Amino acid sequence: MQNVATDENWKTCFCQLAPGLVLFARQWARSADDAEDIVQEAFVRFWRKQHDITNRGLLYATVRSIALDFLRRDSRRSRRESTAMSDVDHSVAPAFEIEDDTQRALVAALDLLPTEQREVLVMKIWSDLTFAEIASALEISQNTAASRYRYALAALKKNLATT
Amino acid sequence: MNDFSELEDQLRKLRPAQPSADLATRIERALAEETSVSTAAVLPREGRFHFNWLSLGLGVAAAAALFLFAFIRLQQPAAKGPSVAATSPAPAVATNPSAEFVPAGLTQVVYHTRDEGLHFPTKSSEPMRRVRSQSRDTLRWRNPKTGATLQISYPRDEVSLTPVSGQ
Repeated sequence: MQNVATDENWKTCFCQLAPGLVLFARQWARSADDAEDIVQEAFVRFWRKQHDITNRGLLYATVRSIALDFLRRDSRRSRRESTAMSDVDHSVAPAFEIEDDTQRALVAALDLLPTEQREVLVMKIWSDLTFAEIASALEISQNTAASRYRYALAALKKNLATT
Repeated sequence: MNDFSELEDQLRKLRPAQPSADLATRIERALAEETSVSTAAVLPREGRFHFNWLSLGLGVAAAAALFLFAFIRLQQPAAKGPSVAATSPAPAVATNPSAEFVPAGLTQVVYHTRDEGLHFPTKSSEPMRRVRSQSRDTLRWRNPKTGATLQISYPRDEVSLTPVSGQ
């Protein structure tokens, strides 16, 4: 148990995983700020419980759980605020650093994917998680994770061909 | 070998946006906060109660009030005099001084403030700046006779709207 999360090594882990985690959280958050809040809470919870830092599946599962809670709270809050507020100013910073039109089209095609496929793709491509880790994070089988990944790529290819 | 290898390469060239510079600072502060509050007996340990500030605050306040009430009730029998028959009205018994707690301090620590930008409330053409701050209030009472202290601590989530001048 030498890889337990401690105060000393969280920064190293954070530098490696933060961009991927924030991107993962963006799938459920309406803004970059909200995604960062989710990642912050997940990180703090993960470290406080001193989990094994090599258990990336658990860290992503924590982010996902908090994001879904956040989504439920956020939808309730939106309903409340919609009566009191109009034209709410949400940050819409892009999730990717887009360099050209090809990448812009790719991001647009990504947005069209179903959530269950996109979350697998995000974990696999931008966080280099194994299918075993993805399966652990989503509480599905490895075969299902691999299938969703293939379906995501196929759908992406189809979306790009039609645009 | 893999029909999607070219697509995967294209995807990997897409770089996720970097998190804001202060995210690491906020996490560091939150971890420090977690460490410091772990010494307080009244604070929640379960993460799922993390944002349920109102319920937690009300619960703690109710528990403190009950404790105070029970404490005062327990102290009263000791102050009673012997039971005697009397035709005249019983003399007024002063409140037991040993049960008196006097306010000893109030601490308010703001540990997180976030400017949520400008908003336009309904029926108002004037923009308002919304600032959310999270803080922890600690109230203390002390009994000067017995030296006993009572302390309650609760988190507070405050949202303030400030009109912004167009000038």
